[in-house]
Amino acid sequence: MNARKNKKVASIALLVILASSGLLAQSTTPSPQAFNTTIYFDYSFNATNDGDLTGLDTAKALNNKFAFRRAYFTYENKISDDLKFRFRLDADNVNAVDAKGKKDDKMRPFVKHLYLDWAGLLPNSTLKIGMVDTITFKLAEDRWGCRSVAKTLTDGYKDITGVDIRASSADLGANFTGAISKELRYGFMVTNGEGYAHPELNKYKKFAGQVQAVPVAGLSFVGYAETERLSDSAAARLDKVDAFFDMVPNLNISGEWFIYDSDNNKNAADLSHYNVGGFSIFGTYKIIIDKLNIFVRFDNYRPNSTDSDKDMSLVIAGLDWAPIHSSWKIQPNVWFYNYKDANKKSDIVVNVTFFLSF
Amino acid sequence: MFYAKFKKAIAIAEIVLAFIFAPILLAQKKMIQVKGSDTMINLVQILAEEYMAKNPKSPIAVLGGGSGTGITALINGTCDICDTSRDWKDKEFSLAWEKGIKPRLFAIAVDGLSIIVNEKNPLTRLTMDQVGAIYRGDVKNWKTVGGPDMPISLYGRQSNSGTYTFLQEHVLNNKNYSPDMKEMNGNAQIIEGVKADEGSIGYVGVGYVIDKATAKPMKGLKVLDITKDAKSEAYSPMDKGAVDSGKYPIARPLWQATNGKPSADEAAFILFELGPEGQKIVEGEGFYTIGAKYIEANAKNLK
Repeated sequence: MNARKNKKVASIALLVILASSGLLAQSTTPSPQAFNTTIYFDYSFNATNDGDLTGLDTAKALNNKFAFRRAYFTYENKISDDLKFRFRLDADNVNAVDAKGKKDDKMRPFVKHLYLDWAGLLPNSTLKIGMVDTITFKLAEDRWGCRSVAKTLTDGYKDITGVDIRASSADLGANFTGAISKELRYGFMVTNGEGYAHPELNKYKKFAGQVQAVPVAGLSFVGYAETERLSDSAAARLDKVDAFFDMVPNLNISGEWFIYDSDNNKNAADLSHYNVGGFSIFGTYKIIIDKLNIFVRFDNYRPNSTDSDKDMSLVIAGLDWAPIHSSWKIQPNVWFYNYKDANKKSDIVVNVTFFLSF
Repeated sequence: MFYAKFKKAIAIAEIVLAFIFAPILLAQKKMIQVKGSDTMINLVQILAEEYMAKNPKSPIAVLGGGSGTGITALINGTCDICDTSRDWKDKEFSLAWEKGIKPRLFAIAVDGLSIIVNEKNPLTRLTMDQVGAIYRGDVKNWKTVGGPDMPISLYGRQSNSGTYTFLQEHVLNNKNYSPDMKEMNGNAQIIEGVKADEGSIGYVGVGYVIDKATAKPMKGLKVLDITKDAKSEAYSPMDKGAVDSGKYPIARPLWQATNGKPSADEAAFILFELGPEGQKIVEGEGFYTIGAKYIEANAKNLK
C-alpha cells in the first residue's frame, strides 16, 4: 500500500518537474529509437625491443597481440523534434581480481552516457543533462576523426604520460552549447569533475566555458577554460586553445594546446610547483571519399614544467580504409615515441586497428 | 642501426601500400554523387539517366535518404550535389561555414505539396489552418472539418525528410506533429497507406499523385484543394498556374546545392536540368518548371 502511495507521489513529482521545465507543453512525435554498437579492436606488435615501453622484460616485450580496446552499445530515443534521450554502455578491461584474489580481466560494461538532450531552450542551442559528454575535447576529437586509433592529446594525456589532468570525456552534470551566429559559438558546462568512473567525492564542482570563433568559412579558433576547486585549500585550472583549418576540400589540419595548473602539483623533492602541458598538430586527408583517408599527428607532452627530462613526443601516422562500407574499417597505424631523457630509448609500435560500427 | 631498420620497414610498407592502392586510385573515375530528398529522387534519377545517355563519360550516382541526409553529406564532403525539398536551416548554414563549405543553391523544379485523402472521403478542400490542426493532432475526426464522422488517420514522413520539415514550418506553425502520425519511409509508402485507409490523410510531392497515363490523380486517391484561410479561394496543386502564381499556398522550390561554384562536370549536369530538355522531364514527372525569379538566381550561382 505504502509502495503504491510512494509510486504515486513520485509520478506526480516527476510530472511537476517535467511540466515546470516546459517539456510537457510540447506535443510529441513517435519515438524513433536507434541502437548502435561500435567496437575498436587492435592487432599490435612492437617494432622495437629496447625502448622505454618495448623493453626486454616480460611485460614490455608483450607484442604480437590482439586486444579489444573499446566496445560501445548506444541506445537513442528521439522523444520529440527537440528532445532526445541517450544511453551508452562502454566496456573495457579493468585490472580486477575475483573474490579469491585471482586476476580477472574480462571486459566490463559501465555507463558512459545517460542524458537528456533538449534543443528547445534557445534557438540553435542544446542543453544536455545527466552523464553527459564533456565539451573539453569534443571539437578536437570530431576533427581528428580517428578515435578508434587514438584519443586526442588532452583526452589521452594520462594514458601516455601517466599524469592525471582530470580531463574526462564524460561527467555527471550539464552542458549547454549553441551558436549566436555562424561566426560565433559558445559552450558552458557544470559537472562533478570526477568523470564517469567515480561518484562525486567533494562538495566542489567543475565549471567550464568555451568560445569558438569562425571568422572565415573553414577556419575556427576555440578558447576553452575550466576551473575546479579540489579541496578547501587547492584548486586546478585547465586552459586550452584549438585551431581548425578546413579551407581546402578533403583536408583538415588542426592544432590543440593546453596547460593544466593544479595547486596539488608539487615536486616531491622540494615541494616546488609545476604545471602540465602539451600540444598536438594533426592532419587528415580524404584520398577517396568514404573509402580511404590518411592521417598524421605529432604530440608534444610536457608533464612537468620544472623537469624537461620528462618531456616526450609521439608521432602517429596511418591509413583509414573502408574497403566495403564505412561501418567496417581497417586502420593500419604506427606510433613512434621519442623521449627527452637520454636514458630512455625510442619505441615504435605498429597496430592494425579494426573499427566496426553497426 | 635502429633508424636503418625503421627506414627499411617504412620503404617496404610504402611499396606494399602502393601496390594495394594504386589500382583502386586508378579505377576511381570521378562520378558525380547526388544525395538527399526522397521527393526528388525519381525526378533526379531520370534527369541523370537522360544526361548520361547523352554524356556517357559523365557518370552520376543518385541516392535518397532525405533532405537532411543530403545536407549532412554535402557538409561532410561525401556528395557533390545535395537535393533538398526544403530550405536550408540556419544551423545547417552555420555548420557548413565551420567546415569550410559554401553552399550554392539551384532551384531545379517547383512542387505543389499535395494533401491527399482516400478517394472515398467526400471532402474536397481544407484550409491551411485545418491541415495544421489535423497534423498537430488538435483535430481527430473528419466531422470537425466538414467531413464524415470518422477518425482521422495520419500518414507522414520521418524527421530527416524535407517534406516533413517544410510542412512543419509552413503549415504546423513550427509545432510538433501528432504522436499518432505514422512515419513512413517515402512518398510511395504514404500513397499506399492512404489508398488502403478510408480515414487517412497524407502529404506528398505533386509528382507522386498524378497517374502519367491519364494525367489525373492515381486511382484510390483524392487530392484536396487548399485555401490560405476560410475566406480565400481554394486551389489544387495540380493547377500549374496557381502554383506558379503562389495562389496555391503550399508550393515550394526543389533545390540542389553544390559546395561553392560547381565544377565543370557538376555545372554541365545542372545546366542540363535547367535547360529545355531537363525542364521537359520535370513536367513529365508531374512537377512544375521554374519561373523567372529562380532562372535569374540560378544563372548567378552558376558563375
